[in-house]
Amino acid sequence: MNYAVVLAPKFALQALRRSDAALANKPFAIVEGEGCNAHIAAASEHAVGIETGLAVTLAMARCPGLVIRPRDPDAEGEVTRMLLAAAFTLAPRVELTADGCCTVNLQGADDAQTEAQMHACVAELARGGVGARIGAGATPLLAAYAARRADSVLVVHDARAFLSPLPIHFAEPTPVQQEVLRGWGVKTLGELTALPKTEIGQRLGTDGVQLWERAAGESQRVLHLIEPVRTFAAEWTYEPPVESMEPLLFRMRRFAERVALELRGAGRVAEKLALTLLLEDESDHHREFRLPEPGANVDGWMRVLQAHLDTVKTDERVTGVRLVATPARPPERQDGLFDTALRDPVAFWENLARLAAIVGDDRVGTPVLLDTWRPDAVALEKPAEAVSAPEDDLVHPPRGLTLRRFRPPWPARVGLVDARPTSVESDELHDNVRVARGPFHLSGTWWKSGGAWAVEIWHVELGSGATYQLTRTETGWSVEGVLD
Amino acid sequence: MSSSPKTVADLRQLLAARFPQRSRAPVGAVPTEIRALDEALGGGLPSGRFTEIVSASPGTGGQTIIAQLLRATRRARQRIALIDGADGFAPEAVPVDHLRHLVWVRGRHVSDAFTAADILLRDGNYAVVVLDVRGLSERALLKTPTTTWHRLRHATESGAVAVLVLSTSAVVPAVPWRLVLRETVPLESRRIPRAAIADDLVIEIDRGHVEREERSA
Repeated sequence: MNYAVVLAPKFALQALRRSDAALANKPFAIVEGEGCNAHIAAASEHAVGIETGLAVTLAMARCPGLVIRPRDPDAEGEVTRMLLAAAFTLAPRVELTADGCCTVNLQGADDAQTEAQMHACVAELARGGVGARIGAGATPLLAAYAARRADSVLVVHDARAFLSPLPIHFAEPTPVQQEVLRGWGVKTLGELTALPKTEIGQRLGTDGVQLWERAAGESQRVLHLIEPVRTFAAEWTYEPPVESMEPLLFRMRRFAERVALELRGAGRVAEKLALTLLLEDESDHHREFRLPEPGANVDGWMRVLQAHLDTVKTDERVTGVRLVATPARPPERQDGLFDTALRDPVAFWENLARLAAIVGDDRVGTPVLLDTWRPDAVALEKPAEAVSAPEDDLVHPPRGLTLRRFRPPWPARVGLVDARPTSVESDELHDNVRVARGPFHLSGTWWKSGGAWAVEIWHVELGSGATYQLTRTETGWSVEGVLD
Repeated sequence: MSSSPKTVADLRQLLAARFPQRSRAPVGAVPTEIRALDEALGGGLPSGRFTEIVSASPGTGGQTIIAQLLRATRRARQRIALIDGADGFAPEAVPVDHLRHLVWVRGRHVSDAFTAADILLRDGNYAVVVLDVRGLSERALLKTPTTTWHRLRHATESGAVAVLVLSTSAVVPAVPWRLVLRETVPLESRRIPRAAIADDLVIEIDRGHVEREERSA
């Protein structure tokens, strides 16, 4: 097989249904023309008794509850981008042949691998709300016939056997040609190609020769290739504006599916998502999400986005949404023999992203001490997927109780005798000092202009028996924590 | 017809026989390498169960238990998550190597802590999840609906994660194990190795469960 065609039948209807949750399982139809010329251009499978060309008034009388809609160019554009993204997962040479139809040049690709990829492609599109079929064959035309004939994926290996039973309308004869062929008793492509091509040419002219070639699936042409997308973003508007989460999430998922498919088609994953809610008063709410594990899994993205949206309250209604994915290369790694790996990496990274959406990106991760003696100098890093083997026990193990910090520290008034603390008073604490150890002095970056810091630390055992850590800086005393 | 059970133990046996799926025994334990705690719990924090440690007053060793648990899980090559409700954990108080397997969630509100717990208990990658609610509003904690705790307990029992709740008063309803730290550790202990201090912590069993027998069986 040299070519494949990705086809979304009933393209305009599918696009409408995909963009509007209210149309699911309802009879609806697309209308064309205006006023008394308005007629049905296409009808969903639930619209029983509605035929193409029927006057709108008649259609509504025939099918009570019929929803009438015009074509939606934005929704169709999204489905087209979905199809193109899916086509780019098969091969890099893709043509947008018509609405809901892409042709892919597969020359040089491995047949078995490509066929498996086609099945994956159809499944992927179905998950994204697009019912598609893929046909493959030696010529673009044969692939197009196969796509029209396929239930899911159809690869034509024997062109003659495949074409013979197909009805003559597959070759798109003109009404005049159709009349002549009917007179000859020719109903299938096989019956037409059984007639000599030159004889057809003598009787039907050059148009007849072209018809014969189309019936034989021989028609070759050069594909008009398009460039794959370089930006991975979606933006859509709500008319009327929305107030609740459901319509927001429904369309967000649809757009995320397309963006994820485009990323996968380009061999990329997302390392960061940026979400902007456009509000009715022309302000916006913007938030960026660093994905702990770069990926193109829509469920994972949606969990992160939904976890954040659950916490968002806006005074104004949402008029539009913008979603931008920052592409990155898929991560590659080689684990060590004694490393501790994850049981379920997908759940691990997704859950971290959800946690980050709730508490903030900078408040979840593995703590790393910064290269300074300054108290509480710590950063949070992305946890390691594989944790290295533990080091040997320390030669000098930690001694004494462990500090538990009060963040922020409690401002305090400290009574001193001979420069040693004797009492502590703060909003939370009021006690005499029984034993005091200190002072322990720390300072740093005194060599930088305006960056110098210095702190004096005391450990004091109070009358209650508990030991607290006091600090004195240039701003005064504070209770920094308890040794617990 | 069999005679009605006379003791609570009899009743538990009867229920276990009739509803075996309801009386799922703990699937193991995570040793804390703290002698006092492992002895009290019969081997370590039970997996698939909640254990609550109540620090009756500051300075009784709750934070040292976390530090030692980090050490024990690191040595056992397990992962641990710390949901730090009031953001009190001080990483500089722990050896750097004991932080590499830790996921630290720095909370701000009671609701953050419970939402984080709900996510992490279902994750499947952690051997231990520590839910430290010390420092959070006690009133808010006590107002937490029982259904929230039930939901967390259900998530725990359907997995193999050991959950340690650190609190300043009993907050977990129907918890299998509740231990209380009452005695403050004096400042003079500052020269004693932390492991030895942890081993000597005075731990009272406020609530212990019959599952201890089941586990040893």
